Amino acid sequence: MIYLKLFLEFFHIGLFSFGGGYATLPFLYHIADVQKWYTTKELSDMIAISSVTPGPVGVNVATFAGFKTAGILGSFIATASVILPSLILIIIISKLLEQFKHNKYVRSVIYMLKPTGCGLLAAVGVDMFINNINICGMILLAGLFVASLTEKRDPLFYLGVSALVGLVAGFFNLTG
Amino acid sequence: MKKTLYQIFITFFKVGTLLLGGGYVILPLLQSELVDKKKWIDDDELCEYYALGQSVPGIIAANTAIFVGYKLKKTPGAIVATLGIVMPAFISIILVAKILEEVVKMKFVQSIFWGVGIGVVVLIYLAVKEMWKKSVVDKFTCWIFFITFTLSACFKAPPAALIILSIFIGIWLQYQKKIEYGDKEE
Repeated sequence: MIYLKLFLEFFHIGLFSFGGGYATLPFLYHIADVQKWYTTKELSDMIAISSVTPGPVGVNVATFAGFKTAGILGSFIATASVILPSLILIIIISKLLEQFKHNKYVRSVIYMLKPTGCGLLAAVGVDMFINNINICGMILLAGLFVASLTEKRDPLFYLGVSALVGLVAGFFNLTG
Repeated sequence: MKKTLYQIFITFFKVGTLLLGGGYVILPLLQSELVDKKKWIDDDELCEYYALGQSVPGIIAANTAIFVGYKLKKTPGAIVATLGIVMPAFISIILVAKILEEVVKMKFVQSIFWGVGIGVVVLIYLAVKEMWKKSVVDKFTCWIFFITFTLSACFKAPPAALIILSIFIGIWLQYQKKIEYGDKEE
């Protein structure tokens, strides 16, 4: 039953992703590997689109992945189940806010979880890099990287430039 | 401004609509809406909820909204805040996804996506950099980063397994009193 599977997959994403919207990507990447609901290439497209549509990227990507898997009902289930763990946990935590904030175990776990979430995301980045790159892409990547060093730019900047380069490169058949 | 459920929903819907890119922009947006315009909470409270939002699993923007919603109107407040922040994302993707299924087959769209795929790698790199600043605070966390990275990149370890493992290590470290907190507060 695809809807139940969707619910379980996205509920577990909501429950285990630490470090913001992008932290959901390692899980979505893993789903692409294991469940084959969409390809990793399609996931990369979804991330790009999610970055330029209104709303938190994590919610956008979940909605999108759900849509890819099982249409509108799928996107509804994916969105609801990715947010549900947060809603339940926070309502509970809010009731015991003071204890939660100063609990040593909580702080120690968070101290561990932050670098773990960061490492997971880095692995996705490297994997996407290896999967989608050719000579022309390397040049584009190097250019964007240099641009990111000079000042803090909007995500739209990177996506806009790379879309434009893609369009031109496609014209000359360089996208391999 | 009165704190009705409807007002809470509308406020977060607006914030959700203005939210583009990563969740990091939610803080200034909430500041202007909740603190400056509506005066529902003050700056310190908002920053506290934002910090707490990062220490709970899930999407930070949504977590912050849920914390604020709960503070304003308990559980119903949390629910309408969630609906408000999620709805714009949901609607815009449904609209885009339907159109996209059609246009994605065209050659020039494929080329654009090829380029954008590389842009996404840069966005992920930037997100990692941002997270690194907040998470890798000493030698030990640096080891954790590289171990997680290796297990995930080379051995395809399931992310949830690694998260659960690090939760247990965190509890164990505290149990053994292996870590001392000085300035580790967010």
